[in-house]
Amino acid sequence: MPDQKPETVRLTIDGTTVAVPKGTLVIEAARRVGVMIPHFCYHPKLKPDANCRMCLVEVEKMPKLQTACSTPVAEGMAVRTATTTVDDAHKSVLEFILANHPLDCPVCDQGGKCDLQDFSHQYTPTTSRFTETKRIFQKEYFSPLIETQMNRCVQCLRCVRYCDEIMDVKALAPVGRGTMTEIKHFGPHELDCEFCGGCIQICPVGAITSRLSMYEYRPWMLKRADTICTFCGDGCRITVQTKGNELIEVNSAHGAGRNNGDLCARGFFGFHASSDADRLTHPLIRREGKLVEATWEDALEYVAEQALRLKLAHSADAFGGLITSRCTNEDLYVFQKFMRQVIGTNRIDSSARYGHLNGVQALRRVQGTHRWTIAFEDIVAANALLLVGTNITETSPITGLKVKEAVKKRQASLVTMEALQPAIDTLSNITNLALQHFPTHPAQFGNTVLGLTKAVIEGNLVDATLAQQAPAFVQRLTSALQGISWENLEAVTGQTRTQWTETAKILAGANRLVILVGNGVLRHPGGDATVTNLLDLLILLGKLDKPGCGLGPLAEENNDQGAVEMGAVAEFFPGPAPLDDQPVRDRIATVWREELPRTPGASLTEMLAAANKGSLKALFVVGENPVGTLPAEAQAAEALGKLDLLVCQELFLTETAAMAHVVLPACSYMEKDGTFTNSEGHVQGVRQAINPVGDSRPDWEMFSALSVLMGSPLEYGDAREILKEIRTVIPGYGLLGPTPTPPKVDQAVLSGYLTQGFAGDAATRYAVSQPRQTGDGSFTLMFVQTLFHSGKLSTHSKGLLQLQQEGFLSINPEDAARLDLADGGQVKVSNSRGAITTTVKIRERVPAGLLWFPEHFDGEAKQLAEWTIDPRTQIPYFKLAHVSLAKVS
Amino acid sequence: MPKYEPILLKNMLQPGYTGSLAEYERAGGYQAIRKVLGKVSPADVTAVVMKSGLRGRGGAGFPTGVKWGFLPKDYQGPRYLCCNADESEPGTFKDRQLIERDPHQLLEGMLLACYAIGAASSYIYIRGEFVLGAKILEQAINEARAAGYVGKNIFGSNTTIDIWVHRGAGAYICGEETALLESLEGKRGLPRVKPPFPATHGLYNKPTVVNNVETLANLPHILNRGAEWFASIGSPPKSTGTRVFCVSGHVARPGNYEVPMGITFRELIYEQAGGMRSDKKLKAFIPGGASAPFLTPDHLDVKLDFESVALAGSMLGSGGVTVMEEGTDMVWAALRLMEFFYHESCGKCSPCREGSSWLVQIMRRIVNKRGQLADLETLTDLCKNIAGRTVCAFGDAEVSPILSTLKHWRHEYVAMIHAAEAANLIRPEPVGAKQ
Repeated sequence: MPDQKPETVRLTIDGTTVAVPKGTLVIEAARRVGVMIPHFCYHPKLKPDANCRMCLVEVEKMPKLQTACSTPVAEGMAVRTATTTVDDAHKSVLEFILANHPLDCPVCDQGGKCDLQDFSHQYTPTTSRFTETKRIFQKEYFSPLIETQMNRCVQCLRCVRYCDEIMDVKALAPVGRGTMTEIKHFGPHELDCEFCGGCIQICPVGAITSRLSMYEYRPWMLKRADTICTFCGDGCRITVQTKGNELIEVNSAHGAGRNNGDLCARGFFGFHASSDADRLTHPLIRREGKLVEATWEDALEYVAEQALRLKLAHSADAFGGLITSRCTNEDLYVFQKFMRQVIGTNRIDSSARYGHLNGVQALRRVQGTHRWTIAFEDIVAANALLLVGTNITETSPITGLKVKEAVKKRQASLVTMEALQPAIDTLSNITNLALQHFPTHPAQFGNTVLGLTKAVIEGNLVDATLAQQAPAFVQRLTSALQGISWENLEAVTGQTRTQWTETAKILAGANRLVILVGNGVLRHPGGDATVTNLLDLLILLGKLDKPGCGLGPLAEENNDQGAVEMGAVAEFFPGPAPLDDQPVRDRIATVWREELPRTPGASLTEMLAAANKGSLKALFVVGENPVGTLPAEAQAAEALGKLDLLVCQELFLTETAAMAHVVLPACSYMEKDGTFTNSEGHVQGVRQAINPVGDSRPDWEMFSALSVLMGSPLEYGDAREILKEIRTVIPGYGLLGPTPTPPKVDQAVLSGYLTQGFAGDAATRYAVSQPRQTGDGSFTLMFVQTLFHSGKLSTHSKGLLQLQQEGFLSINPEDAARLDLADGGQVKVSNSRGAITTTVKIRERVPAGLLWFPEHFDGEAKQLAEWTIDPRTQIPYFKLAHVSLAKVS
Repeated sequence: MPKYEPILLKNMLQPGYTGSLAEYERAGGYQAIRKVLGKVSPADVTAVVMKSGLRGRGGAGFPTGVKWGFLPKDYQGPRYLCCNADESEPGTFKDRQLIERDPHQLLEGMLLACYAIGAASSYIYIRGEFVLGAKILEQAINEARAAGYVGKNIFGSNTTIDIWVHRGAGAYICGEETALLESLEGKRGLPRVKPPFPATHGLYNKPTVVNNVETLANLPHILNRGAEWFASIGSPPKSTGTRVFCVSGHVARPGNYEVPMGITFRELIYEQAGGMRSDKKLKAFIPGGASAPFLTPDHLDVKLDFESVALAGSMLGSGGVTVMEEGTDMVWAALRLMEFFYHESCGKCSPCREGSSWLVQIMRRIVNKRGQLADLETLTDLCKNIAGRTVCAFGDAEVSPILSTLKHWRHEYVAMIHAAEAANLIRPEPVGAKQ
């Protein structure tokens, strides 16, 4: 967000006067007055390259024609875009570009949305003076997802520049000289990159197109729906293009949404998950031990009957509910309302429990907000960025792009702490851009942050006014950190004092400091404490409530934030408000016309324990798969096996659904309306793109139908009505504009924290945590997210499966050499919990001593994971294991 | 005894001169830098160069002192000097001789330029094919470094100036200063959009000066003998000093001739280069490298200075004078040059990339007796559509052979086309675009 208003410059475009900010390019100034200057190589995202020469215009007092795309405006400049000279120039440049063009529009997928086609119709005669032989490139196989047809290329290099400037991947390059310039990738194998689809989106002609929709459509046949992607917390705007009821393509228009038109592999190529053949199409009821197809009436009546019976026989607290944060806010809201009002229990939880709550709880505790106090714009405008525990490119690719933009375009200083090694690879690597990188063992984030806080205090970088306002806080932290020796910190973390000191100076010197916290912290033991300590760091630097500064936990699932705000978790009512917040309880009761349950909530792990003990009798599971996700130690299968009623609302027959008494087919995000709330707290509209697959229904509809059958109807006509009710419970919810206005730090909460709130666990938070001794092998196995997948949904996408279809073990080259492991070879991974055999992939970005395994394919592998539960936030941690490796020959 | 006092070639014209450090010093080398270092302020050095009227010898003829003056005065970070030794202009071979025969003269010039602009690092971007030149320069730099003339605290002062040799990889376009910088940075050698100019955003986006070898080699002499002395040579006030002209083609004694600017082509060709090689008369000459439009015998009395040649419709360019005798097929000559430009077009800008291949195909057809009269109009049209519409000056250069031959020898094109018609071979013959 800009701090000051930029200077404006006045100029005339074809006689029309326009005032634009200084530094604006003529082509953009012209757009302001409705003059479209033809161009190929220009794109607002990219640095001007002025290579296509299509945008030549006359500028008064300049002898030669100028390229509008590279000429900045000047005061009093007079630009003419419609003279004969300019028209001749456009014609001549087009004549050159068309000289070697194959003119194969009838078989080109770009036909109908091609800049070259449009400009040709506008400027050139239908015959050509070119009677020579056309240049022909050999057709080369490029990749399973991306088709190239280089004869159509106009060499504008937008793809190459996008891949470098925006994505920082550098997978493409022009090869050859002159007319023989051809866009290629490197190496004698098919394209290996991030597959963001950016080159397809940015190509002005049909040179680079998607193979997923090859030869399937003409643009005018398609119906479009603007909606929000479901694969991570970034909340990207996507446009889903359909023909009939068939998903054809997903793209995102430049300037659209929080992603500004940029997408990642999941967003661009992952859409087929919704139309996968494995989708559940009919309700299933377990009869004689087998799940058999049933009608909606039978299935719902069965559930209602059983639920009423169990409620009568036991109590409302014999019920539990578990919902995925992939659902819309409307689904989540109706789910929790159903559980609280129709059933009468607070025993509900969602997948926000897996980590996001660590971030939300810390924010609430320290600054009194449940959301970021910053927005994506603040990331881009930051002077310094601290990324803790996030391989952001792979987990939150679009937030990652904002970081890249801040560093590459605006020279922000980047500090990264992550279990990641800088390396040139086929995927971009955020640590390559870092000014300071702390290669951090997954168990050492807490200690590494302690080092940084210690460096801030000992470097006298603590905000001067803070020491007066909150002496107790500063003194407590100072004495705690003085009690920790540098030698001790250096020994446990492997970092150096010098680096901490240097980094502290960078952070203190930044006017706009943004801290982003990822799964490395949020989903590992000590996550809650580490986020709180990072907030302490911001307080010490005097930056917690400064404009443009703040801390943002990165949500893993698209609606983790919404799940918390809708109250679909054990400890919160919608708001989120704690269960003991009487005013909120009263307000909601007025809206619901019913008293809210007073019994305490139960988190996922508590519900599983209760089921195991036999006190939980019935469980509603919406899109969650505890049996498939949690390691054996969680005893999910045993617990669910003891239930009298297990109802699953699912897209696919998961391990959990296979155990259910009733399975209800649910709509995916492509088939329903609603809203998602992204990481930064921006509520965005989800729009239906295709009809529900089979007999599937939106999740809220099922609860609504059940409530009617159970005698306390929750009736809504459509998702909008639900949102309307949400807004009465949470005033103003989802009324934000195109750019969210982040909340401000609650000064009352902050001062409460500074006087007393911090003290309770200060001793444990400011102590060096010693690595756990497990007696297992010397390697630390991490279950990580990967760029190409996002949980169990993406593994049904045929596009993404072509990029990655099974689990493999990523290992550092040195470790591999030591164990004599070859790329593609087999390895046995074992510890006291079990053993698996898998394929080895050698990757320089994996730090020595660590191993990565993609969590989306963790099937057998997850049994190796250690299982711990956070005492304060009840978050189960199961993404780490200590293992030994042995080569399998 | 030569008619004019050689300046740049003086040392190497001494019999037995090897260009070693010892010999260069014996001939008075490294005196200018000693005289200047720590005693004359960098600004005063720039002032002397400005006063001398020295203009760039690479082709464009931009005043050197003025170019230096464009560097931001208050900029704190690093600045760079790049010596453009990517001498690739057909018909030009002066820099090669200056490098191979008297490398320390260039190095001293670079030290002076670095001192003047405040650069601690400088690079010689040398044409990849100049294997010998690169080796000699490396050797010379090692000698100078060992003597304490290059590197940290040169000549015992607190000034640090380093010189590095970087070899090109065989692209003509890398002689264009911004493409040179791109290539030097390790990227694909494509010209940059200007502005910004290298003076503010050059190598690694830092203020940078790019000077030609011959330009830099002049500096020690200017600093030694004074701006007034230099300004009195040649054709003052605008074209001062000598130039090394590379005379090639159908002359009796092809080679490099260092003469004051302002003598006529007639004198250069007939007195210095010994006239035509046979009794055939001169038919045409290129006055300044392949990028310069052809001139005719009518232009023999044009003076060899920037303005006079420009007035005659061509340019002094890089100083490569290529002479052609009666009987030379001018259409073929234009095709030959067009082939060169087609081969070297970097492909960045559409008009040049597509135009060069189109032009070369038409020219090949005409030469292969498959042309039509309409082709001549197309040629002129395409040339007009390329010139002035590209990022760098390559676009203007590549059309000059065709435009100037069409201007002076259009009848040869027409005759060729008539011959084609007579032979009934007018159908366009496919010509493969692959090189």
